[in-house]
Amino acid sequence: MSMQLPPAASSGRAVGSEAPGRGSPGFSTSPHEVRTAMTRAAEEPLGGTPDADESLGDRAARAVLEFREGRTDALSDLVREATPLLWHTVRAQGVDRDVADDVVQSTWAALVRHADTIAEPKAVLKWLLVTARRAAWETVRKGRADLRRRTELPDDVTEGAAALPDARPGPEAEVLTDERDRILWSSLRRLPARCQELLRLVSLADRPDYKAISASIGMPVGSIGATRGRCLAKLRAVLTEHGEASWT
Amino acid sequence: MSQKHENAWGEPVPGEDEALDARDVAVLGRLGRAVEVVDPVPQGLVERSLFAMTLARLEADVMELQQIEAPAGSVRGDAPPLEARTITFTHERLTVMIALSTDDDGTHVRLDGWVAPAATLVVELRQPDGERTTTADDDGRFAFTGVDRGPTSLLVRLPDGGDVTVATPVIEL
Repeated sequence: MSMQLPPAASSGRAVGSEAPGRGSPGFSTSPHEVRTAMTRAAEEPLGGTPDADESLGDRAARAVLEFREGRTDALSDLVREATPLLWHTVRAQGVDRDVADDVVQSTWAALVRHADTIAEPKAVLKWLLVTARRAAWETVRKGRADLRRRTELPDDVTEGAAALPDARPGPEAEVLTDERDRILWSSLRRLPARCQELLRLVSLADRPDYKAISASIGMPVGSIGATRGRCLAKLRAVLTEHGEASWT
Repeated sequence: MSQKHENAWGEPVPGEDEALDARDVAVLGRLGRAVEVVDPVPQGLVERSLFAMTLARLEADVMELQQIEAPAGSVRGDAPPLEARTITFTHERLTVMIALSTDDDGTHVRLDGWVAPAATLVVELRQPDGERTTTADDDGRFAFTGVDRGPTSLLVRLPDGGDVTVATPVIEL
């Protein structure tokens, strides 16, 4: 995909002659001890500050610092844990599945190329989310341009509609078999697009990481996390209209 | 920011300044499970990403996936049938097209490729377990037979490009 990522940094790492596989220090594709990806918000003590546990953002920072020292295990674990967040970040921009696959891969590859130049390791999670999001936009923009080039008939004006992220409830919800899930999904679809994106992503994350997620989407500080925030409050209002008051 | 914020986000919603409660947690938990069901992360994406990171350390230019032609269904981990898949990758100086088919024994893959402009280029096939090398003929054709399934990338050394190599994105065979 046309990634438009920042140009490869000339890292000081002498890796040019390394071959992947066959005993060279590639990224192992076999999982070792990994925190089960994305502990559910439900497992988190209410109102508690989970300082005892590292957040995903903390683990991302540590993974990059260790990678700079030549250790790749933590980064491999991070890929397992954070790939769903990147996937849904890219998909929320209206990118189809095949292309999204490449965008996610390329985002991780970009992290490797830039690991030595990321000034603020604490911001690695946000960097990943922003990079994936921009790359996704770029493919959408380019897809539109390609379509425009191929469109010969002046009447053929479907491109705008085709390029928009799908905002209808659509058949996708048919895979949800539970009636409450369907109600929840159709309620989500009635929110503004950015609220949908925010809530989808935070639903996959733990609370300490909500801030990095909302910052990466350009949402105001406090959109969710310390308080319920507007998006979640709106979702609850829609659910209440549906008569779904109790979810516990 | 308050005024701008208000305009961008409409009227305040009752309850937005309250602390997250058990219902919020339950809604988000249910939503997270629904998100994973409605739009599941493709199988093997983690492995492809890890392999792409290994390749990134080689500092090759990554080609662009231009076009996939395949029977209905996805080419990625979603649906494995790979018969008659052709994939085109482009780079400003090179186009690579590959056609995939099942090899004789059914468990391996045959990969037929063309590079354009045609040149006798060295083509490497990389997988997590190792790499193989072949050379394109005068017409730019090359082939790998008996290839294992799994994350795969092709690297091509550009002619007169010094050490410049280009790599395809990682695809799933």
